[in-house]
Amino acid sequence: MTTPLTLFDRVWARHVIVPHPQGEDLLYVDKNLVHEGGTFLAFDQMRAEGHKVRKPRQALAVTDHYLPSTNRATAPASIAHPEIRRVVEALDTNAREFGIEHYGVHHPRQGIIHVIGPELGWTQPGLLIACCDSHTATHGALGALPIPIGQSNQLRHVLATQTLWQKKPNTFRISINGALGAHVSAKDVILAIIAHIGIGGAVGHAVEYAGSTIRAMSIEGRMTSCNMSIEAGARIGMSAPDDTTCRYLHGRPLAPSGADWDQALAYWRTLPSHPDARFNRELSLDASDVAPMVSWGTSPEDSSPITGRVPDPASITGSEKRSRVARALDYMKLTPGTPLAGIRIDRVFIGSCTNARIEDLRTAAAVVKGRKAVVPAMVVPGSSTVKRAAEAEGLDKIFLAAGFEWLDASCSMCGGSNGDSLAPGQRSASTTNRNFEGRQGLGALTHIMSPAMAAAAAVTGWLTDVRTL
Amino acid sequence: MQPFTSLTAIAAPLDIAKLDTGMIVPGRFQRLPRRPGYNDYARVFLHDLRFDEQEQPCPRFVLNQPWYHGAGILVTGPDFGCGSSRESAAYATLDFGVRALIGASFGDVYRGNCMQNGVLTIVLPQPVVSGLMAQLQNAPGIAMTVDLPRQIVIAPDGTTHAFDIDATRKERLLKGLDDVGVTLQHLPQIEAFEAQYRTDMPWLKQLI
Ligand code: SF4
Repeated sequence: MTTPLTLFDRVWARHVIVPHPQGEDLLYVDKNLVHEGGTFLAFDQMRAEGHKVRKPRQALAVTDHYLPSTNRATAPASIAHPEIRRVVEALDTNAREFGIEHYGVHHPRQGIIHVIGPELGWTQPGLLIACCDSHTATHGALGALPIPIGQSNQLRHVLATQTLWQKKPNTFRISINGALGAHVSAKDVILAIIAHIGIGGAVGHAVEYAGSTIRAMSIEGRMTSCNMSIEAGARIGMSAPDDTTCRYLHGRPLAPSGADWDQALAYWRTLPSHPDARFNRELSLDASDVAPMVSWGTSPEDSSPITGRVPDPASITGSEKRSRVARALDYMKLTPGTPLAGIRIDRVFIGSCTNARIEDLRTAAAVVKGRKAVVPAMVVPGSSTVKRAAEAEGLDKIFLAAGFEWLDASCSMCGGSNGDSLAPGQRSASTTNRNFEGRQGLGALTHIMSPAMAAAAAVTGWLTDVRTL
Repeated sequence: MQPFTSLTAIAAPLDIAKLDTGMIVPGRFQRLPRRPGYNDYARVFLHDLRFDEQEQPCPRFVLNQPWYHGAGILVTGPDFGCGSSRESAAYATLDFGVRALIGASFGDVYRGNCMQNGVLTIVLPQPVVSGLMAQLQNAPGIAMTVDLPRQIVIAPDGTTHAFDIDATRKERLLKGLDDVGVTLQHLPQIEAFEAQYRTDMPWLKQLI
């Protein structure tokens, strides 16, 4: 009798070329994604060493981090910052020279790397997907095994060999059961999980998100949850493929079709964790306990229900945590005990690989409709495909009528690599995944939340419980 | 990659918890080219902690104190290097001249990147790390030793602390072995794997 396997164990085992029980296994990489940020270092080194890309068809390059969200038509020539322009142009040159397909500045399928993989059907269950980005776990929402890698050494290794040395992590199943309340979304679920287990809470583990709440979520919602696995310290986050997954993939441009589809589907059906599979760790949460969340500190674990208050460091036991929270509040310019709802904000950003898919834009538009933004607010769709779909539904009109900017797909103000950033001391309501010091610009004060909550903040000018709007 | 064997160097205590990679290399420096041999990333290592808005060194920051000049070892707070996967964080660490980090825990991706770049990260229990930190604070600028072959850290007071490291990783660090070269020795196995894969997963045969 064989041991009942988890989804993660099964997919991992399928990719082991050279096992090394005590150390790192040599794994086969089915597909790898390359973006422009930092990766020029990998190509430079490969060129110097005379390495070729061993399997160029298995790689896809995408420009997203440094691309301007305005004046797309004239980019990259119009990118004012010479270093940014150089980075954008370097990927184009490198992709061409090494024979990799590139969704560059003007490609109709261009978008944020973690948005386009799934939406094109390029990401599929059971595939091992490497990407030089810490939010690679997004692809795990379809039951792929996502592995984040470094932008130079590790990327160079994957490109030159199509393999990766990795130590197998432990498994951690996080189950969420029950129905979510009104205006409570996948973003609130994942923030609640991170607040519960902490930013290092899942280090060394591959997380499987399970339970009826996850099963009831759309693929977009599961992507939002998986996306932020790294914010709990887990490099890998996955969710079992099911009917929702198959419906999502069917007919997508790069998904298998015809006889291939049937064979692929039969394989995907075998992947979910066996009911008797054992995980190294388990955590169970009740969906009805999850409220709309906002962050108040400088780590995603510093998040609370919007009905809460800024914590008082004095009431925190544990000196390490106390001093960290005090430092975070100092940076965030917040006074202990202040109700979270009502904190004034200066800007709203709706975008990023966490929350810029069509469903996110629909949710935000539903809140915004018929109202006006009272602070500067911007919507940056996750991909050019999302942008076109949103325009076909008229979502752009809703945002524009409310005074939002409607921009071109890129990472934009998520990390500020393209120059979209907050001024020092500016406070944002943002649908992104990180509120680290300086993440959205030097001295920027970031509150992360769901699209509905960010939209609510835009129309009131302060952190707002969207349920009371 | 430079081999790592045994290192005796000035050790600096960096007693900040959860110092993430965005603080090790602020995002705005990520597009900095890194020419071989120039240590281009040394300047940006912990930039916003080391320098004020006028680019002047912050005198109170530990690494700016003269006795830590040339520190080759950092003793860090827990979760050092958590956050984004930016490999530039490992480059900056290396370019700054740090070859070994000792802490109770590290960001996973950062740790992997460091090891790939010849920077050894050592995990020791928090009480041991706190003890080392105290010794360094009491005798600023003192040296200590990291001995990879014997897998021990020798504290300034002479006490030794054993650490664990994956055997493969250890061997490569010791020899300064490049990962691609090691892997390509397995090319026949990789090709056999691909052949089997095409049979088992026929819908992927166009690709693989
Ligand atoms: S949207 Fe943000 S988190 Fe996602 S890939 Fe881009 S910069 Fe990274």
